[in-house]
This record gives sequence, structure tokens and C-alpha cells, in this order.
Amino acid sequence: MMNTVEIKNLTKTFGKITALDNFSLNIEKGKITGLIGADGAGKTTLLRTIIGLLIPDKGKISTLGFNPVTQKNELTPHIGYMPQKFGLYEDLTVIENLTLYADLKNVPHNFEKMLEFTKLAPFQDRLAGALSGGMKQKLGLACTLLGNPEFLLLDEPSVGVDPISRRDLMQMVREMINPETTVLWSTAYLDEAHSFDTAVVIDKGKVIYEGRPHDLAPTPQEFENKVIELMGGYKQEPSKIAENYEYGIPSHPNPRPQGARGNIYTVEADNLEKKYGNFYAVKNNSFCIQKGEIFGLLGPNGAGKSTSFKMMCGLAKPTGGTARIMGVDITKDPEKARSNLGYMAQKFSLYGTLTVRENLEFFASAYGIKFKNRAAKVQEIIEVFGLKDFAEQKSEELPLGLKQRLSMACALIHNPPVLFLDEPTSGVDVITRRDFWNHITSLAKKGVTILVTTHFMDEAEYCDRISLFYKGETIALGTPQELKDKAGASTMEETFITLIKESEGDNGK
Amino acid sequence: MLRDFFRRVLALMKKEFITIWNDPKTKGIIIGLPIVQLLIFSNAATMEVQNIDVVALDRSKSVESRELLSRFENSPRFRNFYYVENEKDFKKKLDEQKVQIGLMINNDFARDIKSGSIAEVQVIADGRQTNSASIASGYASQIIAGYGAEVSHQKSGAGINPSVRNWFNPNLEYKWYILTVIVAMLSLVTTLILTALSIARERELGTFDQLIVSPLSSPEILLGKSIPPLIIAMLLTMVMTGIVILFFHIPFAGSVILFLVSIFISLLAIVGVGLYISSICNTQQQAILSVMTFMMPAVLLSGFISPIEDMPVFLQYLTWLNPVRFFMVLTRGIFLKGMGLEEVITNLIPLIIIASITLTLAGRTFKRKLG
Amino acid sequence: MKILFALIKKEIKQILRDPSSIIIAFVLPLISILIYMYGINLDSVRVTMGIKNDDPNPEVATLVKSFGHSKYVNSIYFDNVKDIETAIARSKIKGAVIIPNDFSTKLSRGQSADLLVITDGSEVNTANYVQSYAISIANSWLATSKYAASAGRPAINTQTRTWYNPDLNSHYFIVPGSIAITMTLIGILLTSLVVAREWERGTMEAMLSTSVKTIHIVLGKYIPYFILGILSLTFNIFLCVVVFQIPFRGNYFVLLLVSGLFLFTCLGIGLNISSVLKNQFLASMVAMSLGFMPALMLSGLMFPINSMPVFFQYLTRILPPRYYVSFVESEFMAGGVNSIRFENAVYLTILGLLFFAAVYKNTSMRLEKDSSNHMREMMPERQVRG
Repeated sequence: MMNTVEIKNLTKTFGKITALDNFSLNIEKGKITGLIGADGAGKTTLLRTIIGLLIPDKGKISTLGFNPVTQKNELTPHIGYMPQKFGLYEDLTVIENLTLYADLKNVPHNFEKMLEFTKLAPFQDRLAGALSGGMKQKLGLACTLLGNPEFLLLDEPSVGVDPISRRDLMQMVREMINPETTVLWSTAYLDEAHSFDTAVVIDKGKVIYEGRPHDLAPTPQEFENKVIELMGGYKQEPSKIAENYEYGIPSHPNPRPQGARGNIYTVEADNLEKKYGNFYAVKNNSFCIQKGEIFGLLGPNGAGKSTSFKMMCGLAKPTGGTARIMGVDITKDPEKARSNLGYMAQKFSLYGTLTVRENLEFFASAYGIKFKNRAAKVQEIIEVFGLKDFAEQKSEELPLGLKQRLSMACALIHNPPVLFLDEPTSGVDVITRRDFWNHITSLAKKGVTILVTTHFMDEAEYCDRISLFYKGETIALGTPQELKDKAGASTMEETFITLIKESEGDNGK
Repeated sequence: MLRDFFRRVLALMKKEFITIWNDPKTKGIIIGLPIVQLLIFSNAATMEVQNIDVVALDRSKSVESRELLSRFENSPRFRNFYYVENEKDFKKKLDEQKVQIGLMINNDFARDIKSGSIAEVQVIADGRQTNSASIASGYASQIIAGYGAEVSHQKSGAGINPSVRNWFNPNLEYKWYILTVIVAMLSLVTTLILTALSIARERELGTFDQLIVSPLSSPEILLGKSIPPLIIAMLLTMVMTGIVILFFHIPFAGSVILFLVSIFISLLAIVGVGLYISSICNTQQQAILSVMTFMMPAVLLSGFISPIEDMPVFLQYLTWLNPVRFFMVLTRGIFLKGMGLEEVITNLIPLIIIASITLTLAGRTFKRKLG
Repeated sequence: MKILFALIKKEIKQILRDPSSIIIAFVLPLISILIYMYGINLDSVRVTMGIKNDDPNPEVATLVKSFGHSKYVNSIYFDNVKDIETAIARSKIKGAVIIPNDFSTKLSRGQSADLLVITDGSEVNTANYVQSYAISIANSWLATSKYAASAGRPAINTQTRTWYNPDLNSHYFIVPGSIAITMTLIGILLTSLVVAREWERGTMEAMLSTSVKTIHIVLGKYIPYFILGILSLTFNIFLCVVVFQIPFRGNYFVLLLVSGLFLFTCLGIGLNISSVLKNQFLASMVAMSLGFMPALMLSGLMFPINSMPVFFQYLTRILPPRYYVSFVESEFMAGGVNSIRFENAVYLTILGLLFFAAVYKNTSMRLEKDSSNHMREMMPERQVRG
């Protein structure tokens, strides 16, 4: 048998939405196939249909020769599937999760190799919920790989994972499988997809490209451009969001002029520290951000970025030090400090049952926009953010990219002089990401101070300055070029890996 | 300043309403379930013991004994009769709960009546349900005494003739009582669940962080979170009260305004408890379990099943913390007794204290919970 | 078997990690037994009532005194009717007795004397107590008073006996019966959220792509919570019998067996709620409406089922607490009555199996309802060899 999956004329609809439209695809045995597509293109639906979790409306599908609709029970022992949320029991330990999945798959409890590979051996008795994002992903993958499945399906395993963990993940898959194994890997990272045997690009429920990635473009960067082209192209236009933005300081008119050159520091972290028991989640974290600067906070999962972030906007109390936003001390007057702040959380945290318009209206009035201006303001934002076609849709039903756009709209609704973005592009497709950064950079030009975290190292290049964060401490601070020089590397990704490894080496001594 | 305050509170209220009200399933369950329960429980739950089944062992087999038994058969309260011939069968019927009471008439029953000596009848009640057993045996004694008076040779001598007047409920209809209790209980359940889950749910979904980061202050969040459930609970209580008046024809004795004010403040106290629970819980599951741990004692110690004066002193003091207690006194008192202003206020004061303490605690707790 | 065992082990570990379910399983029974033991009393209820005596005859004063001596009555003396009215309106007293001025005169003439009994009808139960206490105190006073000789002698003497509970102690049936309410609550609450949670957290999706079968998922939920429930139940019975000394005349083995059946039905209700409603708010509202409230109102513990209108009597037949209340009261107080054991056990088994079947049916092995049979013919199936 040459093909692991054969799909012919498959259609799958959810109510009015067509997720897969007369879809045909063969997936070759023993190859790693990358699945690329915009948010809502039908990637997850495809994976779920292939293993029989969803039933197609019409068309033919065969997975490993089985009919997933009628032979799901016969099919499942041969596959390994890692859903987007990885399917880990957070209240069980690492070893307990492995044991559970080994038993469910009826395979012996030989985890030594797996633990060694994932470097999870020292953490076997830690609860999965207490692991960092990268380690969770590795554990999820380890559980999926148990029993050497013939066919491995991974649904965006590298979302929200730092570059080092991402490399480990890739390496794990390549080393743990045998040449006969087929892998279907859905991803938003095009450099990742570029390294696979086959790339399948889908858009609006149809295949728009299928073939070797190298045939499309020789380098990952060009590959990204080609894929964007295939998906309809991205034309950089002046950001309407930025055009629409009016710089104003709602409640505190005098940011403190500071620094040697008389720079205006709008965001300051002053020896921020967070201690849990004897463990420092964040230690001696100090930095100052100038007005209109894009400041990137980079670091591996679990380095303490989110904790710093939460302390900066008053969601967590620092055990030491403080932060100031527009000169207002966040520990002393959190409400006032926050009124200068737009905050976009890592996890989608708007009201799922409210429509796009209702969410915007809520945040508009929560931020004190007067009733008579409100409807106009909301309408304007809907148009500027390109949410017009979705205005009356419930926000939980939106594809991820649109959810992120809505989150950003809510964060910007009161024209804050400072914007905090926690992984704003996590899990977002490549076109939306470019669009996002266009807005971010344009806003910065209008004077908005932006603090951002990301795991896309190409995005780090957009930042004016970067603070590299590791084990609760800043290990490097500077412009992207300065950091690259320091590490002697040519790309940000290499820089990241080198600097982290170095710091680890220092700690080892 | 004040305008901003109202604007933000209104925004939060609107959002809360949309979340509760937009989902038809939720709407149906919040309004529909209590009404269905009201109709079922009010019809089913009664202490007026009816349909009593009887086992009779008539050893006398005389005209007199048969006459006595026919009095039972003619009483609307008694339903099925089993006539048995020996004690074994008699005991079996009672053991197996086929009957609620047993009647045993002795051999010399007729002779005693004729001779003017005291005849004896034994009434045996099933003590596995002492309350209905004693009520049923009370009915039985009345019938027997009535028959006894008729066959008595003696002219009636000195005796006591009690004339009973039941105020506020002349026929002592159980339904009047239980309906007011059920309305209060169902409002309690809905309000508590509605509020107890509200902050816990936002915490679980991560939206609470977003609220904290926004300029909404604690009092604003508190208001925005408490008014919508309060309004919904008020509406629900009013609808249920309307049903009680219209369909069950129970006279509303008191002042409508006092009634509305009373349920408002009672519900406010319950909202306070709910929000406090919500503010200390991280997940919805914890919130639900806490609601249960609060609600079960609160309902049982509200005085609806057994009167508070009859409880041990320690528990009596404990019921001062129980908003349900005052809620029930007020609904019943105003509805059936036409309770006056002064009395209403005495019962409102503890509720106001409970409400202000719980709401303050809730406001403080969700700020302190930031970690 | 191995899969089922792994799932059970997983669930037990999860239960042990989250103390809230364990707290519920052991703290709730404790609180509830304390309340039923000390806070609830359905017999020999003490009531406060007013007395107004218009008869100056000193013999009648002894009647007033005997109200004071009764251990069930707390009497307050009043001088005028107006005060009685206000006291009743303010719930200071639950009723009153007014002795008219011709009371002794009539009695001494060998006539029957009127005694006015007023009750607060807004509290029906208490009103009934007031009535019966007032009448029986007056009658027993008459029997020992100087008018006793001229008092009418009843032609028939009624002897009332209460079997199974000669002390007429309502706690003897309320406390065991409360186990039904507590266990309904625990059984339904513990399980009503557990399936919903797996869907929410995405673990269900991962599980469905392994060799797990429906029966594994269903039993993997039933068995661990059954174990926890039985522990909670045993604790409950222990509190009843050992700590609070409620007499137990039945057989412990039978008690546990039928209790197990009851628990099985309650878990079934909870799991059905959980697998149908994937929203925790709705699940908890429905759990309350199907769990606590009917168990309290319709189980026969507080309100006799026989007295309900016929339709509602039938309605109680689909509620497991009804059978358990009947069984547990009888087992505690009457000892082994085989027909009661058998009947209730059979009904509980039927309900339990029905709920089990519903859980099985509602546990979907896919992310959506399995409705498209048409796909079967359209696609090739792989022949499984061996």
C-alpha cells in the first residue's frame, strides 16, 4: 500500500459553514507531511475526519485501509493523535500520564528512552499541570508516540513553544519513528513545514498546493513568501488601526522624563521580583521602555515572562520591586496605572457567548467611552479591524486569527499610550501575523509604547529592543543586531539558542 | 466621575444579562425549572395525611364493630381496607408497609358497649414515619371517639368543648404554607447558583483578568455582578408569587410594597453569599460544591421543616446567620399574615447585615485573590 | 480489562488530587447528620403559646398551671385579646388558649365548657401541635380535677400503639432517611461535572483516538465514584449507628447491598447530566433540580407519598430516593422485611440499569452525534485478518 490516507471528494459542513469542500488528498506512506493553512481553513477538521472523530457528509476516505466511519475501533490502535490541547491530565504526574496512555494503548511500560529524549526524567513526579508549555508539549508527544503508531497525526504541536523546545520536538519525532511511519503535522511555522517531505497547503476547505516544499522555494524565508502568495498574498497597506489611533493620555498627563538623554520612559520595571517559597519565578527584573518603542520579552517557556507580564499590569503582586506605567506606580495605584494600559492576554479571554459587537461595546463602556459616542466608535473599530462580516457572530465561534484581532481591538479601544501584548501571534496563520506586525509597528510610530512577547524569532526582528529572559532573570538586553553580534549568529533563532545555551553553561560552572 | 461609574456598572450589567439571557437553554432552565418545580412540589408535598390504608382485625364480628369500621370506610381520609383473620397477617400488612395503621377490635367489644363498660379498640401506627403515623392515628381516634359518643349510655357530663380558630389560614390548608416556603426555596437555589458561578466561571475562562486590567474598580465589578442576578431573581420570585396568587387562589394579606422590598433585600443577602462563595473559588466545581455545603444546612435550618424555637440554643444562634430563615419568615409573614412595617424591619435588619458583610467580603476577596 | 483498570486508576488519582470531592464525600454527611439529629424534630415539638384566663375560679387557675408544667408548651400569660393578636401577628406566640368566664360554672353544672383555641394558621404544622397540645392538656386536667366525677366517661377507649418506634422518636427514621438525601446529592454532584470536564480540557479527544471503547469510558467513571460513594455511605451509616446510636434492627450486608444499588442509580443520573449538558452552569442547575429538591420533597421522608395526588405518586416512581427511603427506614426500624427489601431493590436495579443504558448511549465516541449511516456503503472497509 502506497498511501496511508486516501480522500476523495470529501465534504464536511457544520451548519452553514463548509469546512472541507469536495476535498481530495492522498498522504504517502513513510513520509512527513506538513499541513499548512490559514485559521479556519479546515486543518483540524481534516485531521479529525481522518481518524474518525468526525463523520463526513459525503465522499470517500480511507485511513490505513480502514474506513474511519465504520472501523474506528480497528483503526485507533494503529494511530497516534495529538490534539491541540495535547490531551494531558494536568492533575496527574508525568509518569502517571505516560502509564495511563501506555495502558490505554496496551503497550509495556518502558519509558526510559522516552523520558531521556524528552529530558523529562528529572520531572517524572511533577504534575503535568505544573510543567512549562514546552515540557507539556513534549509529554503530549511522548504519550502520542507510545506504542510506535503506524500513523502519527499532530495538530499544531508547536504553538506557543520556544525555539529550543521546538527543535527538540522535531528531533524527537524524527528519531522516535521508523521509516515506515507516516506523519501528518499541522503547523503555523513555515520554517518547520519547509523541512518536511511534503507540504500540503489548504485554504477554504480545498487543497491549493501539494508537493515537496523545496520545489516551491529553496529557503524557508522564500517558502514563507510563496505560501503567502498561494494563500492570496499579503499586500502591506498603511495600518488603518494606527491611522485611527489618537495618542492621548487619559488620566496622567506627565510621564516622567528620565535617563541620560532626557528620554521619556513610559514603562519601567524596577527590580521586579516574584518569589514562591524559596523559588524565584522572577528576580531583579529591571528595564525601561521609551515612548514609541517596541520592547520584546523573549525567553523559553517557563522563564518567567508571563509572571513579569502579570506583575506589570497588576494581575499579580510582586514580592519585591515595582513597575511604573506612565509614571504611575502599579503597586500603589493599580487602577490609575491600568487606565493607561491596553492588555491582550495570552489565552483568548473575551466573552465567548457575546458577539463581536457586544464585546467591543462592553469594553468601550468599561473604559469610559460616553454613550453617545459609543456606537460610532464601535462601528469605526469594527470597520478598521476588518471585523465587519463577523460583527454579529459569537466571539467563541471565530477562527483564532480573528479572535486575536478582536482581542487587540478591545485592548486598543480606549487609545492607550501603552500596549501589553502577551504572545499575540501564537497559533495565528502567517498572513494574519504579518498583518498584526504591520499594525504594531505603525502604532509604535504614533508613539504607543509596546511590550510584547513572542516565540516567533522572525518577529523578534521587528522589536526595537529585546530582553532575553531565562530562569527568572534577564540574560541579555539590546537591539536585535546587538544580540546577534553578541552571540555571533546570523538569525534571531540561532541567537536565542546560543545565548540560552551559554547562560546554561555559566550556570553549570 | 459618578457618570463614569454608572457607565461602567451599566456596561458590566449589560454584559452579564447578555451572557445569561442570550442562551435559550439557560433562560429556559433559570425560569422554567423553578416554575415546574413549584407546580410539582406544591401539589405533592402535603402534611394533610390522605389515602390512609388500614388493616383491620375484627375479633368481635358484631354489628357494633362492623358499624365502627364502616365509619372508617366512609371517611374520605381512609382508602384501602384489608380485613384479616389473625395477628400474623395483621403484622405482615404493617411490616410490609401495605398499610399505615392497623385497627384491632377485641372479642368483647360488642358486649362491653351493650353492658356499658368501657370497650377497647387498639390503633397501631407505623412508627417508621412517626409524623404521619401520629396524624393518622389521631384521625382514627376521632372517628372512634365519635362513634363512642353515639353509643354511650351515659348522658354527656362535664367536658371540654374546644372551639379552634386558625388565624390567617382558617382551614389550615397545608398548601398555603408550603407554597410560600417553596417560592423562597426556589428563588434561593436559582440566585445562589447564578451568582456563585459567575466569578468562578470568569476565573476559569481567564476573562476575569481582563476585567481586572480594565479600569473597573472593585465596587463597580461588585455592583455589575450583583444587580443582574438580583433582577432576574426578583422577576422569578414575582412570577412565582403571581402563580401562587392566580392559580392557587391564596389570598395575599400584606402590603405589596413591603413584600417587594423584603424579597429584594432577602435576595440581596443571598446574592452576597453567592458572590462571596464565587470570589473564594477558583473553579466552577468548587463553587458548586460550596453552594451545596451552604444550601443544605440553610434550607434545613430555615424553620421550614421544624420550628427554630424548638432547636437547641446553639443552632438557634446559628440561624441568625442564615438569610433563608428571614427570607421565609418575611414571605410567609407578609403573604399570609399581613405582617406590619415594624415586624418587617426587625426581620430585614439581620438580612441587611448579612448582605453588607458578604458583599464587602466578596469585594475584598476578589481583589486580594490576585496572588 | 487493562484499559478499564488504567482508567479507574487515573480517575482515583484525580479524585485524590482534588480534595474538594473527598471533602464533599465526608464532610457533607457529617454536617447533614448533625443537622437532622439536632436541628430537625418532627415530634414532641415545643411551642410557645399564650393563655388568657377570664374565669376567676381558683380551680381553673390549676388549668393555667398545667399549661405551664407541660414540657411541650412554653406558656405566656396575657390579660387582653389585643395583646394576643399582636403577639401572634409578630410570631411571638404560635397560638393561644382563652378560658371563658363561665368555664368553671359550666363544668360544675356537668355541662361541656367551651375552650377557645387560637392558632397561627400560617405555620400549619405548628398550628396542629398547638391544637392537639391545648386539647390534650385541658382533657387531662379535667380528668384529675374536681369535675372529674361528673365528667363523661368515654364508651370506647382507644389505645394507640406505635410499632417499630415505641418512643415515637422521629430521629429514628429521619436520620437514616437523611442518608438518601445526602447520597443523592453526593452521587449526582460528584459525577455531574466529570464528563463535561474531560470534554472541556480536551482529554476526551485524545482518549477517543486510542483503543478505548465506550464501555471502558462508562465503567471508568462509574467504578471509581462508586467506590468513593460507598466509602461515604459507610461513613454515613457509621455516624448513624455508632456515633448517634440510632437503633439498627436490620442486616448490614443487605443494607450495603441495597445502598450500593441506590448509589448506582444516583451516579447514573449525574453521569447523564454530565454527558448531555456540557455546560457546568446548566449541569449544576439541573443537578440541583433533579437531586436535592426532589429528594427532600418527594422521597417520602418529609411528606408522605400516600397523601399525594395520584399523578404525583406515579411521578415519585421514577425517583430513586423514594425507594431508598422506604428501604432504609424499614431496614433500620423494622429489621428484615423481605418484601420491602425485594421490591425496592428491584425498582432500584431497574432504574439503575435504565440510567446506565442512557449513559452508555449518551457517551459519544466521536465529536458529534453518530447519525450518518449512509457513509457505510460509500466507503471501502479493510478486512481485518486474524
